[in-house]
Amino acid sequence: MSSLILRTANQFIVPVTLLFAAYMALKGHNLPGGGFIGGLIAAVSLVLYRMSHGRAAMSRIMPFHPRVMVAAGLAIATLTGVVALCFGKPMLYSEVIYIDLPYTDAAADPFYIPSAFFFDVGVMLVVVGISVGMIVRLGEEIEEVDEA
Amino acid sequence: MAPVWTVFIAVLAPVTLGLLSLFLPRPWIERRMVVAGLGPAVAFVLLLATAIDATSALSDAHQAAKHDHATHSSTHDAGDHTATAASHDDGLTTGTLDWMPTLHINIAFRTDGLGLFFALLVSGIGVMVYLYARGYFGRAGPTSADDLFRFYPTIGFFTTAMLGVVLADYTLLTLLFWEMTSISSFLLIGWDRYDKKAVKLAMQAFFTTGLGGMGLFGGILVFGNTTAALGIGPMGLDPVTGEVVCMGIWRWSEMVAYQSEIIGAITAMSPGLMWAFVLMFIGAGTKSAQFPFHYWLPGAMAAPTPVSAFLHSATMVKAGVFLVGRLFPVFAALPLFPQVIVPLGAVTMFYGAAVALRQHDLKRIFAYTTVSQLGLLMTMYGLGALQYTYKDHVFAAIDFDVTQIANHAFYKAPLFIAAGAIGHVLSRDLTQLNGAFYKHKAICGTMMAAALGLAALPGTISFQAKELFLYGIYHVAKDHPWLWLIMGMTVVTAIFNVAICVRVWTTLLGLPGGLTEADGEHHDDHHHEHAHEHGVLANLIWLPGAVIVSLQFLGGIITPLWNKVFGLFEQPATAVNYFQYKADGVPSLLYAVTHPGIPLLMSGIAIGGGILLGLSKLWRDAITDVCDRIYPALYWLAVTGGGRCFRLVQTGNLKHYLLFVLAFLMGGFIWAAATDSGMAHVLHGDEVGRVLEYWPGALIGLIVCATAVLIPLTESRIVRVLFLGACGFAVVGLYLVYQAPDLALTQLMFEIISVILFVIVLRLLPKKKVAPNIGKWWRIPVAASVGLLFGWMTLIAATTDRTETNPGREPLGVTLAQHSYQIKEDEFGQPKIETAMTDDLGSRGGKGNNVVNVILVDFRGFDTLGEIAVLGLAAMGVWSMIPHRSRRKDALTARGYPKGGAA
Repeated sequence: MSSLILRTANQFIVPVTLLFAAYMALKGHNLPGGGFIGGLIAAVSLVLYRMSHGRAAMSRIMPFHPRVMVAAGLAIATLTGVVALCFGKPMLYSEVIYIDLPYTDAAADPFYIPSAFFFDVGVMLVVVGISVGMIVRLGEEIEEVDEA
Repeated sequence: MAPVWTVFIAVLAPVTLGLLSLFLPRPWIERRMVVAGLGPAVAFVLLLATAIDATSALSDAHQAAKHDHATHSSTHDAGDHTATAASHDDGLTTGTLDWMPTLHINIAFRTDGLGLFFALLVSGIGVMVYLYARGYFGRAGPTSADDLFRFYPTIGFFTTAMLGVVLADYTLLTLLFWEMTSISSFLLIGWDRYDKKAVKLAMQAFFTTGLGGMGLFGGILVFGNTTAALGIGPMGLDPVTGEVVCMGIWRWSEMVAYQSEIIGAITAMSPGLMWAFVLMFIGAGTKSAQFPFHYWLPGAMAAPTPVSAFLHSATMVKAGVFLVGRLFPVFAALPLFPQVIVPLGAVTMFYGAAVALRQHDLKRIFAYTTVSQLGLLMTMYGLGALQYTYKDHVFAAIDFDVTQIANHAFYKAPLFIAAGAIGHVLSRDLTQLNGAFYKHKAICGTMMAAALGLAALPGTISFQAKELFLYGIYHVAKDHPWLWLIMGMTVVTAIFNVAICVRVWTTLLGLPGGLTEADGEHHDDHHHEHAHEHGVLANLIWLPGAVIVSLQFLGGIITPLWNKVFGLFEQPATAVNYFQYKADGVPSLLYAVTHPGIPLLMSGIAIGGGILLGLSKLWRDAITDVCDRIYPALYWLAVTGGGRCFRLVQTGNLKHYLLFVLAFLMGGFIWAAATDSGMAHVLHGDEVGRVLEYWPGALIGLIVCATAVLIPLTESRIVRVLFLGACGFAVVGLYLVYQAPDLALTQLMFEIISVILFVIVLRLLPKKKVAPNIGKWWRIPVAASVGLLFGWMTLIAATTDRTETNPGREPLGVTLAQHSYQIKEDEFGQPKIETAMTDDLGSRGGKGNNVVNVILVDFRGFDTLGEIAVLGLAAMGVWSMIPHRSRRKDALTARGYPKGGAA
């Protein structure tokens, strides 16, 4: 399942889609996007990479089992919810954190991070982990069948 | 008022010291015994100090009761025996340690007569049993050290639980300890972990008493809430609303304090209070082995004998009796009280004694006499609710409950102790023990002395106790003739008890009339045996029994001393008993004999009849109790019957599951539509027309439907996947034309991934083409109607304007948008969307402008959290169900399959 054209194209496509995925995940709070979409986009690009470059190359850019991402994502999402409890708010209570960045006009366009951002990151990690994990696993199954 | 810490430490001492003993090296048997035994000993001393401290309060209560009786004696008032209205603080309750005030569970103890008496009984007999356990498990056995290592913490746990039950002031705290006794009892009955039968019997006991505990739980909740609704009980702050409301009765001391109000509600036939009593009595009845739930108690004899002597004769089984004693002051006013308890107790009493006579295993004999005696104790409390007039005085028919309970403990524990001891050295089967006295004088002597108590012969406190019981029945029977039947049953029970005593004596002494091997062999079900031990410590196997049984004779012969000690603990309510009034306590043997009457005659009949029956050839064989089948039958019903019901629903066929789910969805939706006119309303509004007006949407919808229909009609899997993809991409288009970029993007990504997945998976499927298959015909209408239903549902959610029917509720879209961000008016009066960062919403807001994402991470954040957890689980399923081939081969080889594939 590997062609030169796909492999060459992927050299450019994968980094760009990964960047796009991150962008989608980050802007999701106020504009179309979100952790789920970002995760799916990243998963698609990673799966494409896996298909064109093979198992060895994949384990170079992702040197761990995807379940690590699932676990980390679930932990981050749960923690985000629990942190609100520590402040006496209901679980998963949304709050925004303002940060003064240099060279920006804080009054006109303040920079802030919503607590949901961390939640979205958790969701994204879980989605990437399971999509990549399941598809790659099934792909390996095919390769093994072909080898056998 | 006793300090709460004193009692709390006393309650916790047994389990704490039991756990501490775990730190000692295993072979240190004696030191372990001392450390663990300090637990109940400390508890006993602390409680004794509390009791002495409370003496004045206790005698105050007595005086009040007596005084009350004097003033009320001429009135035949229904609430008379309970009219010993105590002030709201009678000085018998300790202070409170807050634990969970909003749930009505705090740590406070009630040191009234009944509770303190039980606590002293438990800790006192506990000390003896701890010593006996050393003798029983011994030093010589192969598992002795290990057994004792486990035994002391477990029995410490039980002792703590039992002390908690009898001392706790909060009803729910009592329940907590009550369940702990069930658990510890389970652990102790199933002591021999490798004996399947013992484990099964432990389960039987646990389920029976545990289900009863559920009854008690329900009863306590119903009682607390009913009294709160009736306005009985202290006022407090509602934890939710913060208003001052009536909290209801959640403490035993409150039950006493608000006695007259509760009795008023009971006489007004409050159904809640009646059910509270019924539920609580279920708990009491199962715990105290009342017919037909007594089967667990003889079954519990699978436990080691120290456990039987402690739990199943002297203490735990009396928890139910104790509970009835706690409920008695108020619930005695319930007409149901004597009507339920007296017949049930009497049947238990009679049945237990009848079965006990026809047993050969000593432990089973004593187990059934325990059942019998528990029935008697219940009957006693039932009778207590009745009254009789004698010489212009109104008397309660209850006799000295503390004396009755103590009496039983003081002969039954020694009987078990001796039974376990003789089982060690010879056998527990009575037919094997002919003439055993001459070999083991101390053990058999203890047993024979205790058997005198069982038979209630003169000289034991048991005699007076039975006499008092008969006296109570006799006097009340004048007004309630049906009690003559109870009288008859009591006498027959007494005859059986005397007969058992006679058979034990004649057998052990080897006299004619004793049981011999010719009377049939009965294999005892649990035999603990190890080498016979010699030395001073070996005496611990019978000495504790002898100490306890001596109290029987002490009370029987020097009755005034008994009255001085135990009279203190008698419930104030019982003070209006005839003898309390007349003789200031339990009558002495001399008094009983010199005042002949019907009760004395009945005792004479019982003793005479018992001796005749004991010596006769009647009923010498061993039988099995028919009630032993109840639990296996219920167990079969639950496991096998339940399994069959389960398989009826869980067919394992995915199509069936889907059909169930969809059918329920449709049913629920139709029901909702039928009850809510607003739901049908959208269908004949303009909304449907407006959807159709927008032609791109309608066109794409048509494509979606067409591709979906085509899928099952094609033969090639590839084409099917392509149609599915087309369907999905059409949905993406639908989202786009209706301006939902989030959904469109997500769906797009999802379609890409699923097509990739299908491409991978398709290669694994067989090459064979699939026949076009639309399945059974009725699936078409089901699928179509579910589809229409979802459309309808969406239409309702998106468009229904419920402001008319339900003010304050806008269409879902508006509500969600408003809570995501706030719409304010700008300087020109136009609505202006303020971003989250400048907003001060004050309320719970998503603080984001993307409504879809705010729904996902805030409004429905929990759902998202659950969904990603489910996704993770699904992925784990894939990873574990499709392991790598290389690993699979390894696993198969490891299990002995030949290389090259599974057989």
